[in-house]
Amino acid sequence: MTSVDVGLAQRRGTVALAGRETRRVLSLWTQTLLPAVLTALLFLAVFGGALGGRIGEIEGLSYVDFILPGLLVVTAATQAFANTSTSIFQAKSEGYIEDVLTSPLRSWQLAVAYMAGGLVRGLAASLMVALLAVPFAGGLERPAVAIVSLVLTGLLFSALGVITGIWAESFDQHSFVAGVVIAPLALLGGVFYSARTLDEPWSTLTRLDPLYYLVDATRAGFTGFHESPTPVSLIVALGVALAAFAAATLLFARGWRLKP
Amino acid sequence: MLDTVSASGTDRTALLVDRLTKTYADGTHALDGLELRIPAGSFFGLLGPNGAGKTTLIGSVAGLVRAPSGRIFVFGRDAVSDARARLLTGLAPQEVHLDRFLTARDVLAYHGRYFGMRRREAEGRADELLEVFDLTGKARTKPNRLSGGMRRRLLIARALVHRPRLAMLDEPTAGVDLELRHELWRYLRLLHGEEGLTVLLTTHYIEEAEALCEQVAFIRAGRVVDEGAPAELVERHGGERLEDAYLAAMRS
Repeated sequence: MTSVDVGLAQRRGTVALAGRETRRVLSLWTQTLLPAVLTALLFLAVFGGALGGRIGEIEGLSYVDFILPGLLVVTAATQAFANTSTSIFQAKSEGYIEDVLTSPLRSWQLAVAYMAGGLVRGLAASLMVALLAVPFAGGLERPAVAIVSLVLTGLLFSALGVITGIWAESFDQHSFVAGVVIAPLALLGGVFYSARTLDEPWSTLTRLDPLYYLVDATRAGFTGFHESPTPVSLIVALGVALAAFAAATLLFARGWRLKP
Repeated sequence: MLDTVSASGTDRTALLVDRLTKTYADGTHALDGLELRIPAGSFFGLLGPNGAGKTTLIGSVAGLVRAPSGRIFVFGRDAVSDARARLLTGLAPQEVHLDRFLTARDVLAYHGRYFGMRRREAEGRADELLEVFDLTGKARTKPNRLSGGMRRRLLIARALVHRPRLAMLDEPTAGVDLELRHELWRYLRLLHGEEGLTVLLTTHYIEEAEALCEQVAFIRAGRVVDEGAPAELVERHGGERLEDAYLAAMRS
């Protein structure tokens, strides 16, 4: 191995670890993809189908059309987060993370490789929900905006998952973040309502939630309707995702809770 | 202090450790200015009681311990700052931790790829090592379905996939029965002889060091208290066997 260029070795290693993470998602699809799709479909059936007729239109959109983009964002976010946080937590608690920690991969490459698995899981689950919702929902006004927004969602929550996976020292801690941080972000992100129809402090709280910008941009991509300027939403989301990625990289670099 | 400038840049020294000190967050002083030089191509044993610093030393070289103070060179490469040192080093940790989502063959192949091998090259090397370690029949078996002895062999094989020049084996026979211990010795002799590896072996077992190692260092409280060929150590400390020399060195 001494003749191999170290940069090339690191790139190959990053691709290999990303491949391992992706393979884990696909081989465990009944655990990684199916539950998320079923949950999203239940939301669509209950809120879009059973209750949607009574709720009527929001911002000129049918309720199904209004909530579908948000459900896709929440699906991408929760699945991306669950993947990276669980994978790293398992590797750490079972000790086999030492195999990649002794490799020549740089800290940012470790973060990228783990995030790749989260991104794949988040986007695959969202895509499946979107395809199953086609018969009930409207079209796609600006596909590129929707795709960019969902990719940013996957990246942001994959990075948050990396941070959580490194931080958590028990399964309870791991679940705590999912329940106390991720779930409120999803519920306050404007998936089920329009932020501008809310009273204070809920309107402001919603706008402090990075997920709100991702939901709003994705909704703009699907329906054309948005509350905030779409470039601003995407820039905010990109900024938060980059900050989370930098934090994840820093934790790997310092070996915090990974190395004694 | 070791002469790091002259020694680190040569191929004659596989591992050079200079004034290595490591204190853990709980205040434990694991390494206390440890100095060590391991010649390339040697089979080197590190003997010491529990808590002497053996695993911390190996973890520091492999990147599993947060950077201690002092310097470490692997074939002249700084082990902390130069990623090339990682490519030259293979580690079989004391505890057997193997990726439970992968088969035995994939454990080896993915390891090779993490260390920069192409997929086909890594898979070929995995097959080769499965054969060497008599695991070919278990290639498609996941680690949690292997016996303890097989898992231990797979762990050692994993350390060798990327063709390191320095293999560090941290108590590879701890807790294994006598039959498996002798089996592992056979593998280790084979690898050292045929692949020209430098082997750093930590062990509690004096007879293991006597049977395998050309050079031995005694380590106590984070420092090397003596080192040399087993016969030299016996001569220096008196007694008839390495065990006598070890006990004398530990008491001194």
